[in-house]
Amino acid sequence: MSEVQVHAAGQRPSAAAAREGCGRLLRVRVPADAICWHRFFGALQLALIGLLFLTGVLMALAYTPVPGTAYDSVDYFQFSLPFGDVVRGVHHYAWNLLLVVMALHLLRALVLGAYKAPRQPVWVSGVLFLLVIPLFIITGDLLPWDQKGYWSTQVRFSIIASVPLVGDFLVQLLRGGPLTGIVALTRCYVLHILLLPGVLLLLIGLHMYFLATRGLSGPPAGEAAARPQVPFLPTIANRWLAVFLASAIGLGLAARLWPAPLGDPADPTDSSFIPRPEWWVLALNQLVAIFKGPFMVIGSAIIPGALIFLLAALPFLDRSPERRPSKRRGVLLGAAVVLAAWAVLSVMGYVEHFVQPEP
Amino acid sequence: MPKRWQVALFLGVLMGFTGLFIFSNGAVGAAKQTLTAVYSKTAPAGLDDPAWGKVKSLEVPFEGKEKFAGKKAAVSAKAVYTDSEIVFWFNWKDPTLSVTKEAWKFDGQNWARQKGDEDRISLLFEINRIQNFATKGCAVVCHVPAGAPNAKEGKFGTATEAEKGDLWHWKAARSDPAGYADDGYLTKIGDTKGGRKPDAGKGGDKPNITDDKTKPKYMLAPGKKLGKHNILLAADAVEITDYTIFKAGDVITYRMPLAAEGSFGDIKAVSRYGDGAWTVMLSRKLNTGNEDDVAFDPRKKYNFAMALFDDSKDYDSYDSEVLSLEFKK
Repeated sequence: MSEVQVHAAGQRPSAAAAREGCGRLLRVRVPADAICWHRFFGALQLALIGLLFLTGVLMALAYTPVPGTAYDSVDYFQFSLPFGDVVRGVHHYAWNLLLVVMALHLLRALVLGAYKAPRQPVWVSGVLFLLVIPLFIITGDLLPWDQKGYWSTQVRFSIIASVPLVGDFLVQLLRGGPLTGIVALTRCYVLHILLLPGVLLLLIGLHMYFLATRGLSGPPAGEAAARPQVPFLPTIANRWLAVFLASAIGLGLAARLWPAPLGDPADPTDSSFIPRPEWWVLALNQLVAIFKGPFMVIGSAIIPGALIFLLAALPFLDRSPERRPSKRRGVLLGAAVVLAAWAVLSVMGYVEHFVQPEP
Repeated sequence: MPKRWQVALFLGVLMGFTGLFIFSNGAVGAAKQTLTAVYSKTAPAGLDDPAWGKVKSLEVPFEGKEKFAGKKAAVSAKAVYTDSEIVFWFNWKDPTLSVTKEAWKFDGQNWARQKGDEDRISLLFEINRIQNFATKGCAVVCHVPAGAPNAKEGKFGTATEAEKGDLWHWKAARSDPAGYADDGYLTKIGDTKGGRKPDAGKGGDKPNITDDKTKPKYMLAPGKKLGKHNILLAADAVEITDYTIFKAGDVITYRMPLAAEGSFGDIKAVSRYGDGAWTVMLSRKLNTGNEDDVAFDPRKKYNFAMALFDDSKDYDSYDSEVLSLEFKK
């Protein structure tokens, strides 16, 4: 019936749906503090992911996922193509920053009790990012086929292999053979540019959907009070664009001033190369170092897995409606202990790998 | 939360990010000696230019090979770059000045070529990436293990056409007196020929020998002066017409340096031998525009390796590990 009416008006169904969609979007109103100067980690996270997608696509145009030429294609992109250094630098700095922003975003939600009902799905979908983003870094590290990426991947494969039952299978799946070569590079490439982005987009969609349906968290003490609302378009969209532009310019300048590192080309025969862990895995690396031999799995899988599980299960463990930090000392103390342990392990790792001389 | 605390938190996070950038850009991986080329508006004018005093030197250890096996040497290295040029400064101990390079000596009746070679220093950079040069240095091009694709007896070169090296070769007797270091390149070893080639242009040296190979063919032209270390330059030589003018003990250069032209002469050289040590300065355009030269981009790092030759030839050398060259403004 409606289809007949639309046709009668001389419009195609898809155009009508688009008009309706735009109309609905224009009518959407959100709390004014959805993106503001003291609440921007979520927006910044989305901006950084956008930049990572954009720069990743540009780099993929010049990249060849073959061990013999991968390094040269990255070197060519960075140093021979116009603005190649900026694009690769933005990609490099964006993922570093994304990890920090992601942690701060989560920390803020934890401190302010934003995970509590009815927003449990928002929290759980946010915690899932913690699993996906590191996979991007792990698969992306191998792509330049430089010494650091190659040997870091070897270390990671050995850590993954320590996981009981599935470890060897996972390594076999990723590496595709006994050696890290063209099959591993191809698989990491496909994961990095195709499968993981798909998963990430799905997660972003889910997170947004839950945000839209369960609402943004308000101040801990005054949730019930009415909050000023602003239209999503153009107010919030413009603010997000400002965050996007600011981060693009900031990271672009950083990339120009301090080019992204590109080490020596990978030499699989050079077993003397000992990769130093990057800042974000210093604590995890230290855990693996503490639990050696048959106990390695405790550091490599059990403790990190339990932490992620606890984090995801937090809304279901702490079910009181109270959101004020002063009334939730138990949860915050637990979080502080975990954070302190993480910091201590990171410092220990830093001292071991960056301060003490090489043996 | 009071507003000032919010501002403090915001600034703290910003500072944290800044620190993170620097930290995440830090060195990752095993140590490799790095020679840092320091930026200067003007290139040092000579060996004693005060600019060199401000540049930190890198002490590079060398290990002896073949007849020098088990022996060690060391070179102090510095580098400066300008907007258009890169300049290297090397200093190494060598108790003997060796510039004989088989020079002719007359005993009153006959001419004979003396024993003795020359001192040299060479540098090898990558023009196109040479497989595993970054980790193994000259071992993959000069001292290749048996079974390697480029392991052919007495040869020096790369395994494939795609791999290409830039060879800088300063020779105390054959290039330095003419004011340059030989500029060559390294490419794939052929079945019959090595992979070492001279850059386009002219240069090198000219043998000073008669057709019957019994005596020198040239002597110093009237009005000309011998070059550094009494080396006869090809440009200052004239054919000998009367051999009776020579007396016992007279010495004439056998390998006469030729004036360099084109890409072959890209690397200018200045040197001094004194107090039992060589000091050598090599300079070249950052980018010569020649296909047979490495084009230096100050944003990049370059792998290179060096070899010292102490009155020796071929494989009798002291070799460095592979080094990294970086640029600092």
